[in-house]
Amino acid sequence: MSRTNLLDREVGRAMSALSAAAKRGLGDPALAELVVIRASQLNHCAFCLDMHLAIAREQGVRESQSAMLGAWEEAGDVFDERERAALALTEAMTVLTEGFVPDEVYAEAARHFADAELAHLVALITAINSWNRVMVARRIPPGGYTP
Amino acid sequence: MTTDASAATGTTAATATASTTASTTATATADAPARYAPAHTPRLNWAEHAPEVFKAMLRLDAAARKGLDPKLLELVKIRASQINRCALCVDMHSKDALAAGESVERIVQLSAWEESEHFYTEQELAALALTEAVTVLTSGFVSDEVYERAARHFEEPELAQLIAAITVINAWNRFGVTCRLVPGHHRPGQHA
Repeated sequence: MSRTNLLDREVGRAMSALSAAAKRGLGDPALAELVVIRASQLNHCAFCLDMHLAIAREQGVRESQSAMLGAWEEAGDVFDERERAALALTEAMTVLTEGFVPDEVYAEAARHFADAELAHLVALITAINSWNRVMVARRIPPGGYTP
Repeated sequence: MTTDASAATGTTAATATASTTASTTATATADAPARYAPAHTPRLNWAEHAPEVFKAMLRLDAAARKGLDPKLLELVKIRASQINRCALCVDMHSKDALAAGESVERIVQLSAWEESEHFYTEQELAALALTEAVTVLTSGFVSDEVYERAARHFEEPELAQLIAAITVINAWNRFGVTCRLVPGHHRPGQHA
């Protein structure tokens, strides 16, 4: 049985507005792609991985970083402390079902991001989690994205 | 009609009903009010720091609820909020559901809905199964079985809206949990 391709136009526009506002406020397009790819890995969104790997290249994200995202905690100095804080927050916020966002994860993020940046980072992680859900639920195949 | 807008205003939480109740006598008997723990404080007022994001979330919430039965929507929102453990969202949507005429029994049974199917319609059960699958993506995909069950009970445009609505409550849950917004202050209709 094929799944629906429908996404209400206004829902799609509002989701795009959400992502755009989050990225603008974070002001770090390369970091944004690292976060987005990691969340998409955790949520198993093939479409999103395909799309954001291409965008990450455009944004100048190093291949060594993209490739190591699945094991970032063991990747030594491939990621700096700020990136690691953002990735830890991404994981905690994406896997809510195993229990909250720990104080140490939040505090480490708050150490590296000012309040407004942090609010937009939280929004970005939320936004990609939203895209992951509408793509996975409808089983949108990867490969359809062209930069 | 309410939105999850108070996910943005958790800072007013310090005067919890529970805290007020907790200030009663130390010689409590079985009939006296319990002494509750103090309320926590929120981590971050995200909407104040990201007003454009907040606006987009309100717009998304309004778009996603179009065409969905309000009572079904509240059941979906409560169940997703339970799974994601968003205290503020559970508080808000339980109250909104009650205000919309939902029964206490159906709200209470939501956390065990698979074993209390006779409390719900087949359509509601299909929606709850889809809610769980779309909420717990990290344990693997949305199965064909769950998707097809939903597709049997919802016409395609409505199914697309249901997927969107599940996505949106998951988004509010993430803001609520991450920013540790405080439950207990929602009044039904306050965001109408």
